[in-house]
Amino acid sequence: MQRWNNIINTALLGTAKKAANSQGLSGPLQQAADKILAANTLDREDQLLQLAAVMYNYRQSGAQPETATVTPIAVCAAETKAYCTPQAIQVLHQVLETDSQQLLQQWLEYCIAANLLIPLVLLPGMLEKAYRNKSLRTMIAAVSGQRGEWLGQLNTDWNFSIVAESIEEPWQNGTTAQRFEALQELRSTDPVMALNWLQETWPKENAAVKKELIAALSINISITDADWLETLLSEKSKQVKEAAIYLLKKITGSTLHENYRQVLVSAIQLHNNTVTCVFPEKIADEIFASGIEKLSSSKAITDEAYILDQLIRSVHPAVWEKHFNRSPKEVLALFAQQPVLNPFIPALVNAILWFHDSQWALACTHYSEIFHIDLIPLLPPAEQDVYSEKYFDEYPDVILQQLLLRKEEWSITLADKVLRFCANNPFTNNQAFMNNCIRFIPVAIAKELDQYTTENANYFDYWKSIKAHLLNLLQVKKLTSDLYDFYDSPDERRLY
Amino acid sequence: MNLSDEQVLAMAPDESSRKSGKDLANPAKWVSKGISENALWGECQGSGSKPYQTQIDTGNMAFKCSCPSRKFPCKHGLGLLLLHARQQQLFTVQAPPAWVSEWLAKRAEKEEKKAEQAAAPEKPVDTAAQTKRLQARQQKVSDGVEELLRWIKDIIRNGIMAIPEKDRAFWENMTRRMVDAQAPGLAGMLRELSGINYYQEGWQTAFMDQLLRIYLVIQGYQHIDTLPAALQADVRSLIGFAQAQEELKEQTGITDTWQVLGKQTTEEDKLIVERYWLYGVNTQRTALILQFYVRNQGTATLALTPGGTIQAELVYYPSAAPLRALIKSQIAAAPNHSFQGYARWQEVMAAQTAISAQLPVYNDQVYTIANLTLVWHQEQWWLQDSHQQLMRIRNGFRHTWKLLALSGGMPLHMAVTGRETQYEPMGVWHENEYKIL
Repeated sequence: MQRWNNIINTALLGTAKKAANSQGLSGPLQQAADKILAANTLDREDQLLQLAAVMYNYRQSGAQPETATVTPIAVCAAETKAYCTPQAIQVLHQVLETDSQQLLQQWLEYCIAANLLIPLVLLPGMLEKAYRNKSLRTMIAAVSGQRGEWLGQLNTDWNFSIVAESIEEPWQNGTTAQRFEALQELRSTDPVMALNWLQETWPKENAAVKKELIAALSINISITDADWLETLLSEKSKQVKEAAIYLLKKITGSTLHENYRQVLVSAIQLHNNTVTCVFPEKIADEIFASGIEKLSSSKAITDEAYILDQLIRSVHPAVWEKHFNRSPKEVLALFAQQPVLNPFIPALVNAILWFHDSQWALACTHYSEIFHIDLIPLLPPAEQDVYSEKYFDEYPDVILQQLLLRKEEWSITLADKVLRFCANNPFTNNQAFMNNCIRFIPVAIAKELDQYTTENANYFDYWKSIKAHLLNLLQVKKLTSDLYDFYDSPDERRLY
Repeated sequence: MNLSDEQVLAMAPDESSRKSGKDLANPAKWVSKGISENALWGECQGSGSKPYQTQIDTGNMAFKCSCPSRKFPCKHGLGLLLLHARQQQLFTVQAPPAWVSEWLAKRAEKEEKKAEQAAAPEKPVDTAAQTKRLQARQQKVSDGVEELLRWIKDIIRNGIMAIPEKDRAFWENMTRRMVDAQAPGLAGMLRELSGINYYQEGWQTAFMDQLLRIYLVIQGYQHIDTLPAALQADVRSLIGFAQAQEELKEQTGITDTWQVLGKQTTEEDKLIVERYWLYGVNTQRTALILQFYVRNQGTATLALTPGGTIQAELVYYPSAAPLRALIKSQIAAAPNHSFQGYARWQEVMAAQTAISAQLPVYNDQVYTIANLTLVWHQEQWWLQDSHQQLMRIRNGFRHTWKLLALSGGMPLHMAVTGRETQYEPMGVWHENEYKIL
């Protein structure tokens, strides 16, 4: 190396300043150098270039591998699951080409259901996809097998591919976000145990972490949680206290809910099919301490009406069933017909949303003449279709937004309405839009695609290209769902 | 014909063709399609009223399409082949339609004519004029070489310290002079010199290495009569004298089952260079097939499938260390995934030294080596052989993670290209199958 560095140093300075020399050379290199440097026919530049050429060839001819003690990478454990079939891999290639995350999720769902692994050659690409898209991580980790976990140890960006054996590990040792996720997961399967975990760790946590973790209780919240949450009202941290109040408001039997209910039932009475309202002279301070505001910010609404509105929003709609001894349909009719209750219809709808009551949502959409967009997610899928179909032509944009939040496929009639709308609004409902809603569009609509034409001649070509893209998406969707027909056949599986 | 997605896509001339080809691998895009013993065809509905007629000679991989694209293969050819690779069941075996059978017949006729021409007595050559032309070219090249040598000596006299500060014109002027002097090989070597990353630590060695390669070629040319005949051919080739392919094709080649180990594509000023690396299963020889074409001028005719196998007769270009070859004739062959190769890096180095002894200015080679393991050492990835000796992976290698995923930390047989002490894996033998990276 030193010999070559001498050559480089001379070259850097230039032969006008420093001539080539044989410093540090020995053996045959020295002999060659002596010959070159002694040659009268060569100028200083040739001498350096020829000496360097000899060295270059010497180095090149004598190149050797490095010998060093290197700790090898731990070998990956053998897979216990089989790799997916060539047919499924083929479909995966097509899915990836569409660039539709929904189709990829659908393919991953198949792979998880079939208990198979993604092929090794595609593994780095898929792990990178998961790194860039958090929502894919759990699914991709599930189909990456031991090799994915092993790669995750080598590339920290991919360490989500380490599938946790249990949620206790991230709960004990994870970051706050991981602990929250673990608690949420447990809460959805075992709410009581999740509450116990939180109670055990509570004294050890600081206020910020308490505020983060307590939010997990909103899943499957019930009266069982009320006692403990009420003890938190004496917490020092205002944020924690507010978080506890927020949750208590969601529990129908909590003291807070009961206090609200009592104010309302004493104020609002039904006599001889007429509803009257007498605002109580005194309302307990705890009511206002729980976040109910005393003063209205609008001149059109009195302070009393404002307080009642807030209370109606915070009590379960079933309270009115019992209080008036009427069915939901009749209660809704009272709110619609009685002048005293009529201004509080939005508050009642809000209460339905607050308590996620599907039965009341169903009643409201059936018997109310007003369109309530927010209630759609609370309805059973078939009812969502019917309700959306009914109002789609009137409120296409808002309903479309809502439809994209669904989990289930749209009905053919609904998909038909959506596509007719898209045909006339292709710039907002373009190929990327189709990628993001392909999960909801039934495959059966593929054969009807030709009938969706745009009324605007300027959009013709653009809509045509969107339609071609949609057709491709539908075909890949069909191929993906067809995979389920094969996955239980062991002959189809092979190690890839 | 069983090609994988990767194999089909590796034939694409560029990224946009690859993407468009994928889009067209969709049954809905094809009005008709079919397959016969040696052809694959389909009609693709494009923007025109008539669908494009796309046809592929599967016996001797060739493409034809009625679309106006000058890319080769065009997106329709790629799309059709990809669709077949993915959904073979969609193609029914049938007699080819007239437009396909006519093309196949024309191809066969062309081949026959070529054979006839080869067998026919040669036209008389005006040797006097030919010699005159050659002498004029040699004079131009000699003058150009003299000029280049003076330029190199000026650099060495003044020192290379200021080289990173040189502007584009400094390199371009001399490169153009070499083009004018009809020495395109030297012009290419100068482009490599200007392409060195002068912001990188150690640029001095990279610069001197390339400068010395040019200097050696100049010296070789100025003393060409003293060199062995084979090395003379190398020097002439490095200068840029073309070897007549027809002459080569008259020679008897080496017939073997050749594994297509990989394809590398580079582009310089719209000139696309495709390098196909081959390995002869019986002769255990390696070969490099080069194909040049100008972007958008669809003159490429060769479409070897990386990872595939061909039965072919190859003729090597004359060289002290023959590597570059042309395909005299070829037919498709059943996939051959057998592995043969060196057992350790030491053997590769010995083979390389043997080449270096014959041809000091040698280029990248291809080697197949058994049981290489990826290891992390001195903040970079290396390939370790079964004797725990290490070789550095070339900077810029893009498939490290794919290689790791396939290996799982276990050794794999690999095909690599490179020279001296840096190599780049091209493919691996995994589960008894050769996979390109």
